Amino acid sequence: MKKRKFTFLTFSFYAFLFLIAASWYFVIGVKNASFLELFSKENVAYASKFFKGLFGVGQEEIAFLNRDSWSHAFTLTIETLQMSIMAIGFSTIVMFLTVIPAARNVADGTLTLSRKWYRWVVFSLIRISYIFSRAIPELVWAMIIIFIFKPGILPGAIALALHNFGILGKLCAEVIEDTDYRPIRNLASAGAGRAQILMYGVLPTVLPQFLSYILYRWEVIMRTTIVVGFVGAGGLGQEFKLSMSFFHYTEITLLLICYLILVIIADFISEKSRFFVK
Amino acid sequence: MLSFDLHKRKVLTLFLLLLFAWSLFGVNWQEGVLHSSGIGTAAEIFAAMLTPDLSLDILRLAVESSWLTLAYATAGMSLALILALIIGVLASGVLASGKSSRTLMKGSFRGVLGFMRAIHELVWAWLFVASFGLSPYAAIFALAIPYGGILGRIFADMINDVPEEPILALKAAGASKLQCLFYGYLPSVKNSMISYTMYRYECAVRSSAIMSFVGLGGLGYQIQLSLDDLHYGEVWTFIYFLIILVILIDGWSNMLRKRMQL
Repeated sequence: MKKRKFTFLTFSFYAFLFLIAASWYFVIGVKNASFLELFSKENVAYASKFFKGLFGVGQEEIAFLNRDSWSHAFTLTIETLQMSIMAIGFSTIVMFLTVIPAARNVADGTLTLSRKWYRWVVFSLIRISYIFSRAIPELVWAMIIIFIFKPGILPGAIALALHNFGILGKLCAEVIEDTDYRPIRNLASAGAGRAQILMYGVLPTVLPQFLSYILYRWEVIMRTTIVVGFVGAGGLGQEFKLSMSFFHYTEITLLLICYLILVIIADFISEKSRFFVK
Repeated sequence: MLSFDLHKRKVLTLFLLLLFAWSLFGVNWQEGVLHSSGIGTAAEIFAAMLTPDLSLDILRLAVESSWLTLAYATAGMSLALILALIIGVLASGVLASGKSSRTLMKGSFRGVLGFMRAIHELVWAWLFVASFGLSPYAAIFALAIPYGGILGRIFADMINDVPEEPILALKAAGASKLQCLFYGYLPSVKNSMISYTMYRYECAVRSSAIMSFVGLGGLGYQIQLSLDDLHYGEVWTFIYFLIILVILIDGWSNMLRKRMQL
């Protein structure tokens, strides 16, 4: 046993070294990307122009000194906030509906003291849907969803929710697998139904942990709202892309400031409330 | 005390529900939320899910772009790891000698890490592409900076959570700060560092796939091109390749984690 572990670990180690070497070789050798070329005269000129643009050097209209653009950016910020809350709300609802049969100890009957053959079928179906949903990045979901829904914050929220319910589901199912099974068995043997087990047995024990995971995902969603906006799903991201296309660099700075404020607030709230939940 | 706790929890739940309800008001439900042909398109897309395009050309393209995605992710991740190790150790404050210098070091380097990870990798990518063109380095740096920030913060937390006794023993034996770091802190957090890095590696593959959006190639780029041509079958082929890639890495990291715990 000990020898096997050693070989697998060393194998992984060398495999990683090989992968890293191969990727760098691919980037430098095959793609001919030279590092020094990044700092060629032209690029330095472009970069300095771009950054000067961001700080509004030598421009007539500077968006981040303008009251109107601030108020516009503020409405967009609120929209983005709404989108993130909606996204986490949707994924939480779907997660709650699916998480119980997705736990391994429910499927094999150790938790509820009843064994049914179809539990395994449901278990694997839900687990496959989790893997499927979290393997596809939110941006790809958004690109697909935007074909179906009208542009706005709803498709963005749905795309974010589609990606995150798989992650939330996996994390929360693991929480259920780790819970103390004795109180829940007690309920099951007293004849409690599925909903009753959920309400009185599972929820009270796992809710604090669920909440901390939900808040953690919300924080991540906040950061990704800007990305789904790129494909037309509303909020700060959409405006960001528009300003990028029109070369309105000072607007980009303003939007980035708003975005950073949102992210910092989300960080702060999730940190504090995790403490509060504990 | 217990009743107060329950009360607190109920208030919190109610507050969160209200927030969710408020967010729903942001949508204009009256005008209809679907495109006029939305349901038809949805049916087409989901029908294509079962019939992905498996012609030889597309498969070859998919393998090529999977490798591109993986290569960018690996290169970016290796840079991120270096960044995270250096800044993370500095941000944990174990190298500082006095109390005030420790707080200063912790505060400033944690701030740097926070800034690195606050901006999403795609935004970094966009900024890099805007400033120095469509170079693979734009993708690699765009991955390395936010991932370095996340990893660095977690590494710093891990180092701070190391139990104090072994370190005190080392110090009593006359070890310097650096010796404490290499023989005390790092060995005790090595395993958790590796498993967290593996988990992040999986995320990096997904992120590297969407780097495409700014025109840097890879699986996401192909997905976007096929979507623009309305070839839904091809879209799903590329998506399945992405899923396989992610599952492979996930499986590997799970195996590694299990072996390391033994």
